[in-house]
Amino acid sequence: MLNGKTKILLITLCVVGILISILSMGIASSPSIVRYNADWPIIIDPSVGADCQSVTANVNLFDPLVSADTNGNIIPHVAESWDVASDGLTYTFHLRSGIKFHDGSELTAEDVKFSMDRMITIGEGISYLWSEAVQEIEVIDKYTVVFHMKTTFGPFLVTLPSFFIVNKELIMANISPGIYDDMGDYGRGYAIDRDVGSGPYMLKDFTGEYLLLEKNPNYFMDISTAPDEFKMIGSSEPILLKTLMSRRELEMTFRWCASETLKSLAEIKGVEIAQWLLGSAEYITMNTRKPPLDDIHVRKALAWAFDYEEAVKIVPGSVQARGPVPLGVPGSDANSFQYHLDLEKAKLELKQSKYYGHFDEYPIDISWNSNKSMEKHAMLLMANATEIGLNVNVVETTWALFCSDSASIETTPGLHVLSANSYYPEAASLLQARYHSSTTGTWLQAEWLLDPVLDEMIEDAIATTDKDERFAKYSAVTRYIIDLCPTIFTIETPERRAYQSAYMDWPVARGEVIPIYKYDNSMRYIKVYPEKREELLKK
Amino acid sequence: MFINRILYSIFVLWGLSVFIFVISRIVPGDPARMTLGARASEEVLQRFRIAMHYDKSIVVQYYHWFKDVLHGDFGISLITKHPVLEDISRVLPASLELTIFAFIFIIIIGITIGVISARYHNTWVDNLGRFAAYFGIVTPSFVFAIMGMLIFCYILEVLPAMGRLSPELIYPPKITGLITIDALIQGNFIVFFDAFKHLILPSISLGLLGMASDARITRASVYNNLGKDYIIAAQSYGIPDRVIMFRDLLKPSLIPVVSLLALQFGSILSQAFLVELIFNWPGFARYGMTAIIQKDLNAISGVVLILGIFRIGGNIIVDFLVGLLDPRIQLIKERSE
Repeated sequence: MLNGKTKILLITLCVVGILISILSMGIASSPSIVRYNADWPIIIDPSVGADCQSVTANVNLFDPLVSADTNGNIIPHVAESWDVASDGLTYTFHLRSGIKFHDGSELTAEDVKFSMDRMITIGEGISYLWSEAVQEIEVIDKYTVVFHMKTTFGPFLVTLPSFFIVNKELIMANISPGIYDDMGDYGRGYAIDRDVGSGPYMLKDFTGEYLLLEKNPNYFMDISTAPDEFKMIGSSEPILLKTLMSRRELEMTFRWCASETLKSLAEIKGVEIAQWLLGSAEYITMNTRKPPLDDIHVRKALAWAFDYEEAVKIVPGSVQARGPVPLGVPGSDANSFQYHLDLEKAKLELKQSKYYGHFDEYPIDISWNSNKSMEKHAMLLMANATEIGLNVNVVETTWALFCSDSASIETTPGLHVLSANSYYPEAASLLQARYHSSTTGTWLQAEWLLDPVLDEMIEDAIATTDKDERFAKYSAVTRYIIDLCPTIFTIETPERRAYQSAYMDWPVARGEVIPIYKYDNSMRYIKVYPEKREELLKK
Repeated sequence: MFINRILYSIFVLWGLSVFIFVISRIVPGDPARMTLGARASEEVLQRFRIAMHYDKSIVVQYYHWFKDVLHGDFGISLITKHPVLEDISRVLPASLELTIFAFIFIIIIGITIGVISARYHNTWVDNLGRFAAYFGIVTPSFVFAIMGMLIFCYILEVLPAMGRLSPELIYPPKITGLITIDALIQGNFIVFFDAFKHLILPSISLGLLGMASDARITRASVYNNLGKDYIIAAQSYGIPDRVIMFRDLLKPSLIPVVSLLALQFGSILSQAFLVELIFNWPGFARYGMTAIIQKDLNAISGVVLILGIFRIGGNIIVDFLVGLLDPRIQLIKERSE
């Protein structure tokens, strides 16, 4: 018979033994996988999800009608060829035969028509790219589809790599009651977290913590060297990212990592930082309808008072912006006027202002959200504005609050540090989104320009089908906007991402970037070398 | 008495529903625009407003909203685009599992430390227990979580760093939504142990404060009862200390601890945000906090009401348990009625 102390000792030993065995249990990991940390939630219905993480999933789950190369040239994808009518009002696409959706059914012209009709009717995400331009889609035969345009839309083809084709038959079989008349909910409830695509990857698992895709064995292109799986993990905690990277359980980080986090990740052996400029910019918007910013001289004074060199130092890899369109975007103007820090010029501008001598009565708020570099840029402007006699207060806000505040002139902040990027590789993407009157009342345009001349210039440029002529018109629009000085064009922001260079070949890191939104996260171009990963783990 | 408490709770929940609804409707911003995005056309926006009754008066809106809530329909989350109830039914089991394990750690570690400290009061054992309790009280759970991750995941690499299950394993078919329970029911021990490994750090981090405060209260309560006549009488009869401890001392000493535990359950559930964020735990607190940050009004309403139900339910269970532990309380209530 054991005494009490011996019993306690034995029980303790048993508990410790069980704990040790639990801790030492290992599970073999999948050999060929790319894991990527992402914001959450991910919405895999291309008619609804338009944010970074949703599009990252969708470029892998779906096929676009056409694709693009690293120079931004449009290349065949689902459509193997296309014809454009001489008046620019009809686009005829000839589809490849034999492309299969993940449920085994064939992708046909009916699916293309359905996808665009659905996109426009739902009216969310990036549907605005096509809703004003596309009149009707006509199915000629199983593999031929014609887009009839309401008006000429010069950049139409370059928008199409962001148009993903969904499985009509599968969605129609899963329609629920909803707000789209005969179409019920248009399959939103179904497609939001189910696989209705034909892309290089298929949905394997979608939980509240990750999205797991597996390679499509029946894909119509050769993707044999691509990783077997792609996993998006909904986390951004620096300590977790560092732990996962060092344990080789994370291959790529998302674009929102702070510089400090990237620096610490780069210290891990075999991890490098990939960096490129691709159509993203940071702006300080000025509410041109709110005193004293309704006076162009005050706006110009602030533009002269901003320390661009210091702003560039705050964000590694950035360069000073030149106008509303980053220089990497086709149609940008490399010769447009560029402000620099000159406090004397700033003071001269203020003297010409109708508010001169009364600036104390007009304090200006500069709001920021998202990341610390934006706060630093706001502080930078505040410091220099004080030197020229303007009273600027830095205010932290949330994205949701900024969006709702942007709904009216009165509530839109005087100044706001905003990050924006082009959705398709042409200047029109930013010019229209940021400065056309149709976007006032939304976060896209806190400037409230409401300038009919500018609207007409933008519309005219977009409607021009000849590329050279269109690009010349973009330059004219750019210069017109710079003259109005509604925005301080601060920096072109780079995309900076940590990745496992020791066992991953990522063309983007070599500078081979396809200039379409989130094509940098297309897994079919990536190669991973599991044996090199194993070597690293052994070391 | 019990029926009265239930009716009172329903009234409180209704009041809470009015409060949430009014708050959600007076915050600035067009909910249709917030749901459908910056570039949605006016036609689409209007269709949405009509479908959601946003074009009606606030009283009519409340009527429709409350009617839907009674049917379990909190509307669509502005962020996830899923029905809120569907979202909650997905994230709630994850948090419940975390909370239950945190709770188990609180009970096992907190009460054990408290009892041992009281038993060996004013010795080095007691001092050590008190130090551990103070350490738990002053250390925020997220600090412990980060330190734990650094030591056990980054340096020692003995515990998983994130999530509920290793990626190579598949979630067991859902019965309760609690992976450990579902795996046990289905006899899948590999999944059970893996899920348990994932629970160790987050649940201990989450339960740290509870363990510490329960250790302090248990110590005080046990120590207080040690001097009672019936304990001295038992000791004078020569009954072994261990028997006195488990048979006579622990039950009355646990009454204040049980009251505290029930309150802790509700607060752990709602305060798990940082721990869930650090360990990428797809839970309810993280969902609720994201909803607040993103101004996801439908989700906020759902989260607050569910939390209200848990809090009120917790209080009712406490009353019941305390009555079981100390029948005098039940008697006093009955006499007063």
